[in-house]
Amino acid sequence: MGYRISVDTGGTFTDMVLVDEDGKFSIGKALTTPERISEGMFSALEVVAESVGKTARDLLAETNILIYGTTRATNAVVTKATARTAFLTTTGFRDILVLKEGGKHGPHDYSYDYPQPYIPRRHTFEIDERIGSAGEIVRELDEAKARSVIETLKARNFEAVSVSLLWCIANNAHELRIGELIEEIMPGVPYTLSHQLAPILREYRRASATSIDASLKPLMQAHLRGMQSDLLEAGFSGDLLVSTSVGGCQEVETLVERPINTLKSGPAMAPVAGRAYSNLENMGGDVIVCDTGGTTFDVGLVRDGQLVYSRDSWLGPQWLGDIIGASTVDVRSIGAGGGSIAWQDPGGLLRVGPQSAGSVPGPACYGNGGNEPTVTDAALVLGYIDPNYFNGGRLTLDREAAERVIGDFGKTIGKSLDETAHAIMVIANELMIKAIGEITVNDGLNPRESVIVAGGGAAGFNIMPIARELGCDTVILPKTASALSACGMQFSSIVFEATRSRFTASNEFDIDGVNTALQEIETELQEFKDSLATAAGAKTTIEFFVEARYKAQVWELDTALPTQRVEGAEAVMALAESFHQTHERVHAVRDEGSPVEFVNWKGRISIQPFSPPEAPDPAKVSQSPTPDETRSCFFGDERVSTPVYRGDNLKVGDELQGPAIIQEATTTIVVYPDMSAQLSAAGDYILNCC
Amino acid sequence: MSEKESTLDPVLISVMANRLDGIVREMTNTLLRSARSAVISSARDFSCCLVTGDDQLLAPAEGLPVHIFGCHIQTANMRKYHGDDIKRGDAYLDNDPYGGNTHPADHTFMVPVFFEGEHLFTTVSKCHMADIGNSIPSSYFVRAKDVYEEGALVFPGVRIQRDFENIEDIMRMCRARIRVPDQWYGDYLAGLGSARIAERRLEAFCEKYGKETVKAFFKEWFDYSERRMVDNIKRLPKASLVNKGRSDPLIGVLPDGLELTVKVDIDPDEAEIHIDLSDNPPSVDAGLNTSLGAATSAVVGAVFNALDKDLPRNEGAFRRLKFTYAEDSVVAAPKFPHSCSVATTNVSERLVNITQSAFAQLGDGMGLSEGGAGLGAGMAVISGNDASRGGEPYVNRLMLSTNGGPASPVADGWVNYAIPVIAGLMYRDSVEVDELKHPIRVESLGIVTDSSGAGRRRGAPAQQIEYGPTESPMIAVISCDGQHTPPRGVVGGLDGTAGESWQIEDGVQSERLPNVIQLHLNPGQRVRGRDSSGGGYGDPLDRELERVTVDVLEGWETREKAHDIYGVVFTGEIDDETLEPDVAATEARRAEIRTARV
Repeated sequence: MGYRISVDTGGTFTDMVLVDEDGKFSIGKALTTPERISEGMFSALEVVAESVGKTARDLLAETNILIYGTTRATNAVVTKATARTAFLTTTGFRDILVLKEGGKHGPHDYSYDYPQPYIPRRHTFEIDERIGSAGEIVRELDEAKARSVIETLKARNFEAVSVSLLWCIANNAHELRIGELIEEIMPGVPYTLSHQLAPILREYRRASATSIDASLKPLMQAHLRGMQSDLLEAGFSGDLLVSTSVGGCQEVETLVERPINTLKSGPAMAPVAGRAYSNLENMGGDVIVCDTGGTTFDVGLVRDGQLVYSRDSWLGPQWLGDIIGASTVDVRSIGAGGGSIAWQDPGGLLRVGPQSAGSVPGPACYGNGGNEPTVTDAALVLGYIDPNYFNGGRLTLDREAAERVIGDFGKTIGKSLDETAHAIMVIANELMIKAIGEITVNDGLNPRESVIVAGGGAAGFNIMPIARELGCDTVILPKTASALSACGMQFSSIVFEATRSRFTASNEFDIDGVNTALQEIETELQEFKDSLATAAGAKTTIEFFVEARYKAQVWELDTALPTQRVEGAEAVMALAESFHQTHERVHAVRDEGSPVEFVNWKGRISIQPFSPPEAPDPAKVSQSPTPDETRSCFFGDERVSTPVYRGDNLKVGDELQGPAIIQEATTTIVVYPDMSAQLSAAGDYILNCC
Repeated sequence: MSEKESTLDPVLISVMANRLDGIVREMTNTLLRSARSAVISSARDFSCCLVTGDDQLLAPAEGLPVHIFGCHIQTANMRKYHGDDIKRGDAYLDNDPYGGNTHPADHTFMVPVFFEGEHLFTTVSKCHMADIGNSIPSSYFVRAKDVYEEGALVFPGVRIQRDFENIEDIMRMCRARIRVPDQWYGDYLAGLGSARIAERRLEAFCEKYGKETVKAFFKEWFDYSERRMVDNIKRLPKASLVNKGRSDPLIGVLPDGLELTVKVDIDPDEAEIHIDLSDNPPSVDAGLNTSLGAATSAVVGAVFNALDKDLPRNEGAFRRLKFTYAEDSVVAAPKFPHSCSVATTNVSERLVNITQSAFAQLGDGMGLSEGGAGLGAGMAVISGNDASRGGEPYVNRLMLSTNGGPASPVADGWVNYAIPVIAGLMYRDSVEVDELKHPIRVESLGIVTDSSGAGRRRGAPAQQIEYGPTESPMIAVISCDGQHTPPRGVVGGLDGTAGESWQIEDGVQSERLPNVIQLHLNPGQRVRGRDSSGGGYGDPLDRELERVTVDVLEGWETREKAHDIYGVVFTGEIDDETLEPDVAATEARRAEIRTARV
């Protein structure tokens, strides 16, 4: 047993978390080097190696598992640096990617253009064929024409091919034949067939997923294999895993075939971390995971100990961007964070965000020319931040600049300096409360029954009042909060999903068809497991779900299968009841008179190659520590002298009554009046907000 | 303007308004996800709002613009009809176009919300039902000469639940007269569930803030909204705008269509906008008459298109809008028993276009062009019996192909626009979902090259669709008002193109079909429909080369149209990615066109 390393390569920073044999965490950060990603990774490695007194090479040689997460694929899509990709679809339907599924923000907003399709229309080619909804061949594939199209692709130097035909999910013969023709005519050019990648109903989301995947193949295949060889060269001989958008990790070879699964893989790991921290602290299986960065506030969920997935996951804004089509961990983002700018609208109301000062120029207090009031400036004015200990003292903040911009803004809204800063915090809180409400309340989850796990550099400013407003009693804020996603990888499983589309209904249930589909899914999952060296002997769970709805509804709800197979009428009734319960929880009504329709069947395998750390005994004693200093802070009524504690001086069991400030190197926690915080045996801050 | 005497902290006002907004969003999500018919669950033809206990419109979320005005009249009628006999656990159904509702197809579910014994809110979900028991299998009946021929069941503020239980008499009435009653019942549950979800949340909201604060909030929020409106109107120029438009003919009833007029007086001094709808023809013997709710919503929605994007739309903002109506008119003043069956579309679509383009008279930078209009073949109501499901009946409105949106001063038209009163808010049907649910097959669906109204900003292109039944005969009811008078361009922009429809048999295209038709199709026969495109905004010769290049590369416009209309000359080819505008030749070509105009 050796070390375990996780790396989260973001747009700016590469976060690394090292876990030793005793389960002790060390964190290293370095700037990301987009040209050769392994350079940034090795810089971060130097930082963690130093903290355990080893050379980077030795550390790597003693590492058993390295888990790699990257925004590389996301960035490639955003910056349009993906491969030159052709889209092939059924004759008559070349505009599938143009027409999308409709929807628009703002009924009176005509200020923005309609988005361009993910693959240009001029790179879209029609294949003469047609399959019907029952899988019947309405029009045979015209092979001669198909050959000629693929010859054209070759002549025009396309680097990847996306193939998505209508109803290929009911009959895959034509797609398979197109795949063969591509291999014959354009050998070596990567392609994706939609029925293999995303066998789901609804042509747009299937085509979109397929096109995104194909366009990422050349780039991500080179990237992942390059990193693999760099690591080998640096002396790493353990298992290399890559984190995915379903909050798990997979081997490099699997992702080379499905690079779309690396999209959003960073944020997807925050709920994995949240679940693990909640387990460690014995706080139950319903968790709201909040990650507050500079410009965005991300919210994810854990429910009954399970990650929550969404099919409606978009690259870019909903409706304007491109739908991913595949399941991803449901993480929602809003434009609210430390850098969000406060402003006054023409009716006189105070607003915060979504505009952000970003990292350049940054908040006014960064002293880089920022001239507008931000949340971070407000926190500084309120006394929550020590200007000399921000980011561990690496950045000295300009308090005068913060007071100037907040003060000027206060004059326009007729409030004092402190009141203005406090009001900015309150509005930012409200935005975050609404964002949490939308992912919880709207899906029938009561935030009062959940614990919050908070991460990200700016989380500690306001997570306690947010939790109180939502009725959550407890917040867990780990000491490692600033690298929440990289921590999540340390707790993640190898997760793989298989899907079959098999339409049936509770009143005429296709028992054989469904069980065949479930058997195929299970076989596919088992084959996947058998292909992994790391998985041998590891703890494994397989779960089955079905996307179900009342007859004639068009939007499905994920419903867990009560049994592994559906054997007989009673099992069908149990499955229908499982759906009725889900529907009533989410939509307030049930309709037992209606047949239940079942669309897509899913299996998910989770393989846990390493055990999670055991929960330490809870702190038996609690004691009140001595503050390191006091500072004048404002919490809404008047300035109060507030004790300030340095995180590295606190001991397990130390309990602080608010008002108080805890300063960690990469985060600051504000314990509000009437609330309290305690350092747990596992090294997390447990914030009591009730 | 009411005096600015604030009793609540502006921060609290903002918090409470956000919370109510979140509640309406939750209602919307519930309805969308749980409804049965595609017209609600895909096309999103519904809206949710909150009204105060004393009938002031408080919070509509992003509901359809044509639904924003009138719910407060419906809640007032509910209270008028039931007086003191309204209590917690009740729910009411209203679809009376003579009582504030838009048209009979919009079943409106209302739940009064009580706190400490006082009726503080009414939650409202308004849903366009797939069928309402009309005499033809469509909830849109253009040719209905009066309400009796139309045949809709009408519920003027009728109680449908007491103590949270259905009043089964009403359920039986609906099941006895509405086609595919299970579908109706599923949509009823979705609408009711949405209103009940809001009730739960509002009770918690009142619990949290207390009655007095909630009431103070109402006043403050309306006053704030009014201030926003005042601020915005004061920034507009003083002007009297008059604009006219014409609806499509209706064979045998209105051979020339209807000439429609909207007058808009902008008075920045008083911070008011006066909208005069009185100069319009009297009620007609067809389903085209627009209710007060629908016509006012159409025009108010178009006025909002010309204002700040984030203005609250509520009683407070509406204080600054003044209306003049006729006594008896096809616009906003139908005379009983005239039918309002298609009140939310046809004439209302034209009213949106006339009003939003009127603002363009103020000069470049203001208003919008006209958007593509009409429920064409891709938005028809289809019905029949499904042989593959034992002859089970079906009826549904499609949302497969849509019209192109209008151009604005800064942006090209929105492709998935639907019709002016929907304004892009709907979802499209998936071809696969529609083929799975109904015995139909779609042959093709795509955008039509060169169809856009050209301009510095161009309208969105038209779309074209072809489909037909697979095994059993099908009726497609097309109620289109967009096939004769095309959407107009403004400020030098060119007109869009009108829609058309045809029948196809053995690959042969028929003569053009009438714009309003009940089409009977047998297996093998198909309907081909082309929607209309949006008008342009500004002179096409001012369109940037980059935009014209993308248009040509992507096949939105041809190279020929770029040369003839936009005056842009290209070198190179699309296929080998060498297409580039020839700057010198373009300047010469544009100068040539300008000279020819003079």
